[in-house]
Amino acid sequence: MKKMFSRISGLVLISIGLVLLSSFFDAPPKAKSSFRMAYKQAGLTDRQAAAHLLSRFTYGATPGEVDAVVAQGLENWFTAQLTATNADDSLKQLLSSYDALNLTNPQIELIFPRGPAVLRAAIKDGVVDKDSVKTDRKEYREKIQAYMREKGFKPEQELVRQFINQKIIRAAYSENQLQEVMTEFWFNHFNVSFTKPDCARFIPNYERDAIRPNALGHFEDLLMSTAKSPAMLYYLDNFSSSGTNTNMEQQNNNRNGAFRKRFAANALNNDSALAKKGQNPKKGMGGLNENYAREVMELHTLGVDGGYTQSDVTQAAKILTGWTIYPMGNLYNNNAGARKALEQLGEEKMKERGFVHEGDFLFAVNRHDNSEKVVLGKKFPSGHGYDEGVTLLTMLAHHPSTANFICKKIAVRFVNDTPPQSLVDKMVKTFKDKNGDIKEVLITMVSAPEFWSKEALREKTKSPFELAISSVRSLNAQVNQPYQIFNWVNKMGQKMYYYQAPTGFPDRGQYWINTGALLNRMNFGLALASNRIPGVKFDLLALNQHHEPESAEAALKIYSALFMPERNTDETTKRLVPLLTDPNLQQKVDEAAGKTVTAQQGSADAMQEQDMTMAANTDAQQMKKIKAKAVAKNNTPAATDMATTGGNNKYTLSQVIGIIIGSPEYQRK
Amino acid sequence: MSSRRAFLKAGGIALFGVGFGGVPSFMARAADSKKILSPYKKKKIMVCIFQRGAMDGLMAVTPFTDTYLQAARPTLFMSAAKKGTGTSLIDLDGRFGLHPSMAAFEPLFREKRLAIVHGIGSPNTTRSHFDAQDYMESGMPFNKGAASGWLNRAVGLLGHDATPFRAVSLTSSMPRSFYGDNAAIAINDLKDFAIQMKGNPMSANVAAKSFEDLYDQASSSLLKETGKESFDAIKMLQKTDVKNYVPANGVRYPGTALGNALKQIAQLIKMDVGLEVAFAESGGWDTHFNQGTDTGIFARNVTDLSQCITAFWSDISAYQDDVTLMTMTEFGRTVKQNGTGGTDHGRASCNFILGNDVNGGLVHGNIQQLSVENLADGRDLAVTTDFRSVFSEVADKHLRINNDAALFPDWKGDKIGVMNKV
Repeated sequence: MKKMFSRISGLVLISIGLVLLSSFFDAPPKAKSSFRMAYKQAGLTDRQAAAHLLSRFTYGATPGEVDAVVAQGLENWFTAQLTATNADDSLKQLLSSYDALNLTNPQIELIFPRGPAVLRAAIKDGVVDKDSVKTDRKEYREKIQAYMREKGFKPEQELVRQFINQKIIRAAYSENQLQEVMTEFWFNHFNVSFTKPDCARFIPNYERDAIRPNALGHFEDLLMSTAKSPAMLYYLDNFSSSGTNTNMEQQNNNRNGAFRKRFAANALNNDSALAKKGQNPKKGMGGLNENYAREVMELHTLGVDGGYTQSDVTQAAKILTGWTIYPMGNLYNNNAGARKALEQLGEEKMKERGFVHEGDFLFAVNRHDNSEKVVLGKKFPSGHGYDEGVTLLTMLAHHPSTANFICKKIAVRFVNDTPPQSLVDKMVKTFKDKNGDIKEVLITMVSAPEFWSKEALREKTKSPFELAISSVRSLNAQVNQPYQIFNWVNKMGQKMYYYQAPTGFPDRGQYWINTGALLNRMNFGLALASNRIPGVKFDLLALNQHHEPESAEAALKIYSALFMPERNTDETTKRLVPLLTDPNLQQKVDEAAGKTVTAQQGSADAMQEQDMTMAANTDAQQMKKIKAKAVAKNNTPAATDMATTGGNNKYTLSQVIGIIIGSPEYQRK
Repeated sequence: MSSRRAFLKAGGIALFGVGFGGVPSFMARAADSKKILSPYKKKKIMVCIFQRGAMDGLMAVTPFTDTYLQAARPTLFMSAAKKGTGTSLIDLDGRFGLHPSMAAFEPLFREKRLAIVHGIGSPNTTRSHFDAQDYMESGMPFNKGAASGWLNRAVGLLGHDATPFRAVSLTSSMPRSFYGDNAAIAINDLKDFAIQMKGNPMSANVAAKSFEDLYDQASSSLLKETGKESFDAIKMLQKTDVKNYVPANGVRYPGTALGNALKQIAQLIKMDVGLEVAFAESGGWDTHFNQGTDTGIFARNVTDLSQCITAFWSDISAYQDDVTLMTMTEFGRTVKQNGTGGTDHGRASCNFILGNDVNGGLVHGNIQQLSVENLADGRDLAVTTDFRSVFSEVADKHLRINNDAALFPDWKGDKIGVMNKV
């Protein structure tokens, strides 16, 4: 933590241009920025620029935020975001009820043991008989549940849920929006996934400790902290990777034989069930595993065309042998022995022997291949341990290919799917000159006219998560059940934290927009606006100073402007107004839809309990009744019926809002 | 965007009497050129079922003459000797016996439409579910970072234009097999493929009309084209009463997740909406504890698997020539039973391939009489057939995808003849 603070304060000092020897607590950023954003050159007004800035570096502007940023000064706003120093008291308040978020990994390991571990413990403790397991489902489940309560165990799903909820709350309400945006960016870059059971329970702290504190720091720190984090060590299997060369065997024999034996036998299998049977049933020790070494080059640093070979991968894997997880306390797996062995040895002796123990990370020197290696032409002489892994990762972090790869990816994220090389080049120069300082790279990006060009404005497609959170922010909504948002985001094609491949979600519009996903975006808008997403509350009239729009047309104009500041929404309005004001619209649409369609849709939702024959014989009167019932059920401020412009116009304010959120323009940022 | 355009041309004109909101624009155009319908009709469909958790291939299809196996599984081994109770293995060929709960498969096997490959698996020896599934679905067993799934690459290699329903996964989120650049849909329930306002169907129609107009006007071509496709797709589905679907031939699908998924795949096939690759899942195969014999967990699982598949097969009887179905599972289980009446993670398993162009009625593969010497790591059924050799053969013979290098990069190998020579 100390390191992070000093980095941040360092930047504050630099970017503010003050040379004061004060900690950042003493010097809150009364930012006078040393850089200029290039939007005037691109012909944008302050408001237009502020809207663009907010659309890219936050999860969407809240009502009135554009004006606030203009008043603060765009550069000042950005500087505060870069240092993530805005007070976030209300966010802390919102997160205070999530008790699993502050646990350490060893605590999590004890409180949220995995299913198989619980089962084995229950068998061991004689709670369930091994012959009855899963044969009598109900009785067995109840016994296990009672056992878990008694032991104070909680299901892992509870941890996952708290974690996902906190991300949604942070994205929606953090005052340090850029930090959240960058946290998401880097998580996706260094992707790990809940789909892999071994690493799942370590993911919350991976984001909390490895990613978020470094999201606006130096790339090298991100790389190092992810490399040592249990989630990554499990996800890409490095935890099990060990050397097999003769040097190592010799070293083994020369050292304290008894310790070696015990430690190796216990082999750091943090989750006995999978790991023990998993990697190599004969030896219990993994042997060389190249997965992390490959992906750290291909995906985390150099990029697939970054100029490395298969030999580089193998050699790097050897350098990283022994990078593993300190055995955590758990009575129910094989770690107890390994941990005991290390504890008996003591921290002093461990250090002497070349072990490194930092939090959850362990460099197990006895598993390290200390032969000579060559990676990317650099020789790593034999006889080294932990230090050569650090040297390797530092080298990768500062490699020119890495600068290119990372800067391009940042530009894709914030500018458009095919950013101009001229811009990427400027960012690469900064990355190299400033030692991989992410803040400086971002400053270079916004100081370039390319960031503000026509080719950038509105050109990115919101991801499903961005769509959902920007809607919440547009509405100033209160989210009491964040998991409901997660479910919708999944339906729209982004199961957050569950992307299986280490590539992370692709960052391009084409990936997000397909027929099924697009329909669900529209349905999301309708569901949200009509208060059909449980636990999401908002007051539409309050957004308009408690004035009820006098017509559907007025509503469309007012709320389009509120939700999409500085966008030209004339086209949307022009297209929709005739529909909105057509007195016979409902009738026309229903006729066109035909009876089967209506009946089918009706039966699919509202009328599930109704007599099917009635639905099949739908006539106008019956449908009216159903609708009246539906409206009554939905009697909330959001559903305020608007003054009709004539005939039987059924547009409600909530419907207008739903259509805005589902509209093509709102999918862009 | 040529593929999107082509959908408009090819989009199954016969389906559309009246769409809501008027006649879809592409219909008028399509009506002039009926010719394009015939090649479209000829499209083949591959249905893949992933059995997650690793099926015990040695219990599904048991080499019942193997004394080593019998000794290794004192309480799990079943015999093919008729006991008159219907609980013995179904003798397929004097060597292999089908689990009695898969009796539904027997006729298909005898008719030579169903083939079994035994000893199938991945060259990567991982026994982690996650890793093994990941590798099998990406089709690149030594490359963690493979961005795409093999089915997505297959779709890209079809070499002709797509409809929105070309690649559909009946799952709530996109499976690894479908990751990649080619459009695919993941959907649990076809009736969700609509503009919905729960409790307010009338307003939903109004909203649908509004959205359709808005997307038609969108300045982003991606949003405009996809919006158009979405509404066309809705119209396709709405011509059929998805919710009140009645399967053909009096078929009743088991009311399970797999049954539901296959039922909806059958609907898509019959609607002729351009489906070519479908994906579904089956779970519960990780039988560490008390897996049972002719009754119990494993028996329940294979009952569901075989009954769902046979229900699907008779439901689509009129389309059988166009469809091949293939199962897959990440690895097999230990030869020896464990201390809790189950089996642990092993290496090779078996899979099932069903279709009229399948070289059926045979247990393919190359598994030997078991002995310590020929077991993988001294304990598991060795992988003698690379899964890619079977997957690529099905893709080649059924879908006419013969670019193995693109479908399975890093792999070169021979086909084993699970499909008929054409």
